[in-house]
Amino acid sequence: MPTRRDLLILAVLVALAALIPLVTGMRYIVTQATLFFIWAIVVTQWNLVLGVGGIFSLAQMALFAVGAYSTAMLGYYFELPMLLAMPIAALVTVLVSTLVGAACLRLKGPYVALLTLAVAQMLYLLITNDTACFTNPPSGCMPFFGGVRGFTRFGDLGFRELLGGKWYVAHFYVGLFLLALAVLFSLAIIRGPMGLAFQALRDNPGCAMSRGVSKFKYQLWLFALSAFFTGLAGSFYAINFAAIGPTVFSISLLLFLMSMIVVGGIGTIWGPLLGALILMLTDEAMREFGDWRDIGLGLILAGFVIFLPRGLMGLPVARLPRLSGRRRAD
Amino acid sequence: MDVIVQIIASGLTMGAMYAISTIGLALVYGSLNMLNMAHGALLALGGYVCYFAMAHLGLHPLIGLLGAMVVCGVAGLAIFLVAARPMLRAENFETRIFIATIGIGAIIENIVLRLFGPQPTPQPFNLSGAIVIGQVHVPNQNLLILGLALLLMAGLALLLQRTRLGRAIRATAQNREAAQLMGVRVSFVYAQVLALSGGLAAISGVMISSLSSLLPNMGGDPMLKAFIICVVAGLGNVYGAVAAAIVLGLLEAMAQYVLGVQYSFAILLLLVILVLIWRPFGLFGRRQVVRL
Repeated sequence: MPTRRDLLILAVLVALAALIPLVTGMRYIVTQATLFFIWAIVVTQWNLVLGVGGIFSLAQMALFAVGAYSTAMLGYYFELPMLLAMPIAALVTVLVSTLVGAACLRLKGPYVALLTLAVAQMLYLLITNDTACFTNPPSGCMPFFGGVRGFTRFGDLGFRELLGGKWYVAHFYVGLFLLALAVLFSLAIIRGPMGLAFQALRDNPGCAMSRGVSKFKYQLWLFALSAFFTGLAGSFYAINFAAIGPTVFSISLLLFLMSMIVVGGIGTIWGPLLGALILMLTDEAMREFGDWRDIGLGLILAGFVIFLPRGLMGLPVARLPRLSGRRRAD
Repeated sequence: MDVIVQIIASGLTMGAMYAISTIGLALVYGSLNMLNMAHGALLALGGYVCYFAMAHLGLHPLIGLLGAMVVCGVAGLAIFLVAARPMLRAENFETRIFIATIGIGAIIENIVLRLFGPQPTPQPFNLSGAIVIGQVHVPNQNLLILGLALLLMAGLALLLQRTRLGRAIRATAQNREAAQLMGVRVSFVYAQVLALSGGLAAISGVMISSLSSLLPNMGGDPMLKAFIICVVAGLGNVYGAVAAAIVLGLLEAMAQYVLGVQYSFAILLLLVILVLIWRPFGLFGRRQVVRL
């Protein structure tokens, strides 16, 4: 009963995590944990695309940005309440993802990687190069997509009014809740029919395809569906920090998140979460060597791919929770 | 008329620059199935080495260029030895080497950043003056780039078609096992290809920085464009890549003139996506990709 075991692990982890704000009074730890939840959502969904669907997409942070920007723009231009803006932003992300997927997924491995990277770069350039003023508030010229500065003051979830200085605790629980949902979703995908289809396509593509399992169809579905929680994470990120700018497109961040997946183990259920935790802690430890951070990240990424391609979950100690039906040497 | 001359002049220069960096990528992908994401960092490294040799050591420009080529060639070789060789025969080589080179690229780029700082620096490898065609000033630097690109391409074509090494590269690209059985030292060929690609990256980096300026992250955009060109041509197809580079350079110059600089890349990308939907294996690629 691997599914039941995974559900049990999830329940225990969520329960343990829920204790954090009760145990510690330090605001810093709680807000960093919230950030961890956001990145963990992103990497679990990216892992679905990368490790389960075998789609080498680098557009994950672009989708995250679509979610974040949609939320900010809905709040900024239409003054929509954030609780409403979040699901709308997630659906917008799904829509964008479907379009990107329809254009990119007909291609094979490396082509997909390059094209998705190019799409992300294009979005970044469109946002930062746009200098024409769309509106002209007292704070200064505002391009349609916020330009280099991005958006601030587009509303929040209302916890600041409700709880005053303790709002960050509420955000912590929102983040935890979203992460639990995202992990449940990834479990459902991996253990469900879609996971089976990808397993079949991996183990025997000829047989699977002749039985009517269309790779393109399933990849497109996976690509689109995984964008929902990615967009939601982006949306929550924007609300949590009350700001969003083009920095979410940075290569450094992409590197950071990709390292999480690689360190934990691509294609495993718990690997990305473990990787996210380890990298957040490592990053904290490297804070004093600020300028060396990216070199350290690069070393971690390259080192793991070269010497430990299955990540920490591939170590003999951690064999238990492996995703069933790994690709065998054929 | 003048506008057309202007567009052609800048389009050809851009195309030639793209072609140099694209050739290196196409060669590596063609023979190893390896997308080298550290290529952009190598461009920056090459540009900075040339700058360092000329501005700080006071060496002759050609020696600076040569030094940049050597340093980047060695860096390419190191990438092969450290990253590519250990996993060459492992499954998922393409994905793994892609991720590994992203990491290596970040390392190189940040080392350059630590050594030279984040401020833009002018590239001293530069010709002043211009030639006047009609009413249009074509800078000598652009002509130098164009000439150098042509020279390099001719040299590379000679290398691939006429020399032992070229034959070994082509044989390895077509069929690694067969080449190995015929006595080609495949690993040696790969090492040479990566060193060659590094050297080309250095030239390309010097050229690109001479038109704009040196920045530690200057390689990112040209690399992405070079990749796009590779994809349009069909990954691994060297001659197709050169043709595509020049066509895209001209198209970009045109788009810049008609629509403005900020949209030229977006238009380029849209075009690429359309081409790929029409021909998923690139303009010159075939389903069973015949490389080189």
